[in-house]
Amino acid sequence: MIEESLRSLLNRARKAVTDAKNMSDIDALDIAFLGRKGELADLMKQMSSAKSEDRPKLGAMANEVKTEIEKLISLKRDSFAMSGLQKQLDQEREDVTEPGIKPAQGHLHLMNHAIRDIEKIFTDAGFVRVRYPEVEWDKYAFENLNMPADHPARDEWETFFVDTPPDAKNGKMILTPHATSGTARILSEKDLPIRAINISKTYRRQIDLTHVPMFHQFDGLIVDKGLNLTHLLGILDYFVKSFFGPDRKVRVRPYHFRFTEPSFEVDISTDSKMGKNGWLELGGAGMLHPNVLKAAGIDPEVYTGLAFGWGVERTYMMREGLHMDDIRTLYKNDLRFLNQF
Amino acid sequence: MNILVSYDWLKEYVDLKGLTPEQFAARVSLSGPGVERLYPQGRDLDKIVVGHVLNVDKHPNADKLRIAVVDLGNSKATIVCGGSNLEKDQWVVVAKVGSNVRWHGEGELVELVPAEIRGVKSEGMICAANEIGLFDAFPHQEREILDLGKALPGMKLKPGTPLADALGLSGDTLMDIEVTSNRPDAFSLLGIAREAATILNKKLEWKPAVVRKPKIAKNKNLQVMVSDKKLCPRYMAAKIEGVTVGQSPWWMKRRLLSAGIRPINTAVDITNFVMLELGQPMHVFDAEKLAGNKLNVRKAKAGETMQALDGKTYKLHEDALVIADAEHPQAVAGVMGAETSAVTIGTTSIVLEAASFDPVSIRRTARKLNLYSDAQLRFEKGLSTQALPDAMARAIELITELCGGELTTLQDVQTAKYKAPSYSISFAKIDELIGVPIKKTDAASTLKRLGFAVKTDAKKLTATVPWWRDHDIESGRDLVEEIARVYGYANLPSVFPAGVSKRKTDRELILEQKTRDLVCGAGYTEAFTYSFISKQIAERAGFDTKSMLKLSNPLSADFEFMRTSLLPSMLDVMAENQDRFRDQHLFEIAHAYYTKDKGLPNEQLEMAVGVMGDRAWKEARGLVEHTFDGLGVRNIAWKPLATDPFWHPGRTAQAFDGDRLLATVGEIHPNLASKYKFDGRVALAHVPLENVFDSASDAKLYTPIPTYPVSKRDAAFVVSRDIHVQDMTAALMRASKLIRHVEWFDTYRGKGLPEDKKSVAFHFFIGSDEKTLETSDVDQVMDLVMKEAKNIFNAQPRI
Repeated sequence: MIEESLRSLLNRARKAVTDAKNMSDIDALDIAFLGRKGELADLMKQMSSAKSEDRPKLGAMANEVKTEIEKLISLKRDSFAMSGLQKQLDQEREDVTEPGIKPAQGHLHLMNHAIRDIEKIFTDAGFVRVRYPEVEWDKYAFENLNMPADHPARDEWETFFVDTPPDAKNGKMILTPHATSGTARILSEKDLPIRAINISKTYRRQIDLTHVPMFHQFDGLIVDKGLNLTHLLGILDYFVKSFFGPDRKVRVRPYHFRFTEPSFEVDISTDSKMGKNGWLELGGAGMLHPNVLKAAGIDPEVYTGLAFGWGVERTYMMREGLHMDDIRTLYKNDLRFLNQF
Repeated sequence: MNILVSYDWLKEYVDLKGLTPEQFAARVSLSGPGVERLYPQGRDLDKIVVGHVLNVDKHPNADKLRIAVVDLGNSKATIVCGGSNLEKDQWVVVAKVGSNVRWHGEGELVELVPAEIRGVKSEGMICAANEIGLFDAFPHQEREILDLGKALPGMKLKPGTPLADALGLSGDTLMDIEVTSNRPDAFSLLGIAREAATILNKKLEWKPAVVRKPKIAKNKNLQVMVSDKKLCPRYMAAKIEGVTVGQSPWWMKRRLLSAGIRPINTAVDITNFVMLELGQPMHVFDAEKLAGNKLNVRKAKAGETMQALDGKTYKLHEDALVIADAEHPQAVAGVMGAETSAVTIGTTSIVLEAASFDPVSIRRTARKLNLYSDAQLRFEKGLSTQALPDAMARAIELITELCGGELTTLQDVQTAKYKAPSYSISFAKIDELIGVPIKKTDAASTLKRLGFAVKTDAKKLTATVPWWRDHDIESGRDLVEEIARVYGYANLPSVFPAGVSKRKTDRELILEQKTRDLVCGAGYTEAFTYSFISKQIAERAGFDTKSMLKLSNPLSADFEFMRTSLLPSMLDVMAENQDRFRDQHLFEIAHAYYTKDKGLPNEQLEMAVGVMGDRAWKEARGLVEHTFDGLGVRNIAWKPLATDPFWHPGRTAQAFDGDRLLATVGEIHPNLASKYKFDGRVALAHVPLENVFDSASDAKLYTPIPTYPVSKRDAAFVVSRDIHVQDMTAALMRASKLIRHVEWFDTYRGKGLPEDKKSVAFHFFIGSDEKTLETSDVDQVMDLVMKEAKNIFNAQPRI
C-alpha cells in the first residue's frame, strides 16, 4: 500500500513539477510534497502500520522518493532562476557604444600645458624653476645685461615703459621684454653655483598675426666653475631631444646678443609634422658675457655662465604642429578654443 | 639686418670657384652670417631674347600699331607693336610665345600666346622695360619699348641671345643674408667676402683703391668745417670739377639693382655702389649749389627745416646733426641729403662726402624725424673712422672712370689720432672656454684671415683689431668666438653638465600649480588674459584706473593700464562667450600689480573664478571651499559683504583667516550684470592666493575612526532670515559633547513660512567613544539641540 502510495506520489510530483509555471508554483509544490505537513510526511507517519520486516525497504524507498523530488524541484528552480536572470540581463542590455558619463571636465590653458612640459624637462635635469618681476627696472632688463643706455641693441626689444619717474639707481621702470631680466636678478643674488629656469610673462610693443604684446619666454641659466661650450651644446641637445623627440638634432649658428659671448641661434631639425625638411629656428643661447657676470659682482675669471632661452608660444606650437593663422587666438579666450586643451 | 648679395658680384672679391651658392650658404651660415634664402636669377626672362628690327611697316587697320619684322638669330618673327619709339635697325627685347610678361607693367605675369592683333598675326611681343621687370634699370615713357642699343651702349648684341645672358643675369643667384647688428662691417660685399674667405679658406681677391691727391690742391674753393667734433669725429670731402653726370652703365645698374637699390645717375649710383661694396655710406652734393662753397658739420638751429631727397620737408630739432652750407642744412648727417643740393643729370661739379658720425645721434635723429635710409641703418650700428679713405678713394676712382672731371680738393678733418685696439688671451683660456684643445697655429691663422695682426708666445695670443672690427671686438674673450665659430660649432662634442640645483622651488610656485590642478580638476576652464587692461574695461567693471600703473607708450588704449584685479577681464571673457555658452566655469591665476609709493609694484598672485548659471554664486562659493580644502586651509570664517557696489549685497561673502582675507565670493550686482547684458546669473570669486598660501598647510590631520556606531539624525528649524547657518552650526555643535559633527543640508523659504523666516535643516552625527548609545541617549542629545536652538536663535522645530 505504502509502496503504491510512494510511487504514485513520485509520479504526481514529477508531473506537477513539470507543469509548474513559475517560482511560486514550485515553492507551493515544495511545501505540498516535502513540507513538514506535506504528503511525504503523511506517508511516513503511516510507516508504523507497515510490517516491521518491510520497514527498512520502505524507508529506503521513501528516502529515494524524497531525494528524487528534491532534485526535481531544485532543477526546476534553477531553470526558473536562470530564465529570470536571462530576462533581467536582457532587459538591462544597453547600447554600449553610447558615450559614458564624464566627470566635469576642466581645461588648462594651452600655455600652462606648455609651461609645465618645459618646467618638467628642466626640473628632471636638476634645474629649479624661478620667477622674477614682470614690471622691472631698466637695470635688470638692460643695464646689467651689457646693454648700456642708448645702445642700439635695445631697439630690438620694443619695450613698454611705465609712466613713472625713473629711479636714481635702477633707471626706468619697464615691462620686461625678455626673461633674461630674471637672469640678471638670479646673478645678483650671487648664490653660486646656479642651475635655474626662469619662465616668465614678457612684453613687447608688437601685435599682429604672429605677435602678441604679452607672451612667455623661458631662460635657462647655469653658472659654475669649468663650464664650456660643449656643455651648452649638451643642454640644448638634452632639451631638444626631451621636448621634440629623440630623433631631433640641434645645431647652433653664430649670432649676436649683448649679454652673451659667444652667442648663438639655435636650430632644430624639422620633421614632416612641421611641413618641411630642414632646420627651424628655435631660440638663442650663449655664454654669459663677462660684463654681465661682473655687473652682478661675480668674477668671470672663476665662473662661467651658460644661458639659453626662447619663446614658449612658438616652441610649443612648433612641437605640436599646431598652426594658428592668428597667434592672438591664444589670448582671446573663446571657450571654443579653451575647451580644446 | 638683411642684405641681398649677388653671388656673381661676390665672386669679384673672393675666389668661389667650384662652389655653388647652395654649398656656400650651408657652410658659411654655420660659422658666419646666415644665408636665409637663395633666389636664382634670370628665370623670369625665360624665352625672352634679343631681337634686331629688320623692317617696320604700317599696320593696315590701326594708326598707333606697326608691324615689325625682327631677326631672332635662327628665325625671323613678324610682330605687331605699339611702341612709339620703334624703328628700323633697332635692338629690341622680344618675348616669344610661352614667356611671361606683365602687360603694360601692371598686374600679374601673363603667359604669352600667339595672337592676332587687328587682323594681323603677331609672333610674340616687343617689350617695354616695365613689361619684363626692368623699369628701375631702364626708366621710360609710356608706350616706349626698350631700346637695347641705347640702354646698353657699347655692348655687342647678337640676335636670338637670351636677354638674361645678354644682361649677365643667368647663372647668378641672389642671397638674402642676415648680418647681426654688431657687424656692420659684414653688411657689404667686401665684408661678406672676407667672412667667406676665412670660413671657406679661400683667397680674398680685393685691393683697396689708391688714394689720389689733387694735382694742384685748391682748398680755397671748398671750406670744410666740423663744428661738432664729438658727433663727427672724422669728415672727408673731395671736390671734383668738370664732371659729366648721366645714366650709369648696365654693369653698375645691375649691381645696385641686385641689392635692391634704384639707379639714379652716375654720381649718386657711385656713392651707393661704394656703400654696398665697402659698407661705408657716402653722399654727394652738387658743388655749385652749396652757398659760400662751404660745408659745416653742426647741430641744427632752432626753426631750421630741410626738404630731403624723399621730397618731404622736415623740421629739424636742435639735437640733429646737419651738414650745412653757408646758409642752410644740405643734409641731415648720415641720414639723408637735401633736395636743394642734389646731384642731377647736368651737374658739372660735385663734392663727395665720406664721414664718421656718432651712432647714437644718428639713431635718435632718424627716430625723431621718422626718416630712415640705407646710410642711417649702417651709421647707427657704429662704423670705424678708418673706413673713410678707402671709400673716398674708390668713389673718386669710379667718378673719374664714369664722369670724368678733375679732383681739385681733398680734405680730411680728423679729431683724434687713431690707435688700433689690441687684446690678448691665453691659449689655456681659449681651450677652457671652447671645451676642446685648439691648435695654436689654427687659432692664430683664423684671426689673421679675419684681418687681425697676430703675435703669439708660448702662453698667449695678442691680436690687433682690424679697423673694420673696432666696434665689435671689445676684449680678449671676443677673440674666442672668432676662433670657435671658424673652427665650427658642429665639430664640438655635446656634453650634458649633470648637477642639482642648490636652491629649491619656491613654495608659491608649487602651490600655484596645485591650485591650478584643484580648480581644473573640479571642471573649471582656465582663461588667460592680458596683464594690461583698457580704461574702458576697468571702468565698465567699476574699477578706477587712477590707482593702476600706467604705461607711457601703450600699443593702444586697449593695453594702457596694469591691472589691479583679474575680475574686469574675467567679466569681459564671460560676456564675450555668453552667446554660445550659458553655463560657464572659468578661472584664471595671474599677477595683479599694486602700485607702491616707491619702487616696483607688488606683483600679487591672484585667482579669479567666474561662474555663469542658475546656481552660479553657490557654485563659485563651493569651488572656493573646495580649493581651501585641497590646500589645507582650515581656519575659515565667512562674513557677509553687503556694502560693495560691485557685489550683490545679499549674495556675497568673504572668507577670513583671522584678519587675513582669503576670498571674496558672490554674485555680481544686478546693476553691473546689466552693463554686460548678462541674462543668466553671474558669480565671481576673487582669491588673493598669497594670503591663501599663508594659511595653507601640508599637514595631514587624522581623527580616529569611531569604535562605536554613530547615529545620524536630521532636524529642521524655522528661524529668522537673518540668522547665519555658520553661527547655527557652531552653536549646535556645542549643544552636547556627543555631537561629533553638524552638517547643513538645506534651507527653505516660501510657501508655509512667513516672509522673514526660513527653515534650515541639518544632519547631526551623534556618538560616544565609550559605548554604543541607546536610542534614548540620542533622543536626549536632540532635546539639548532643540533647547539650544530655541535659546540662542529663537528657533522653532519644523515638523
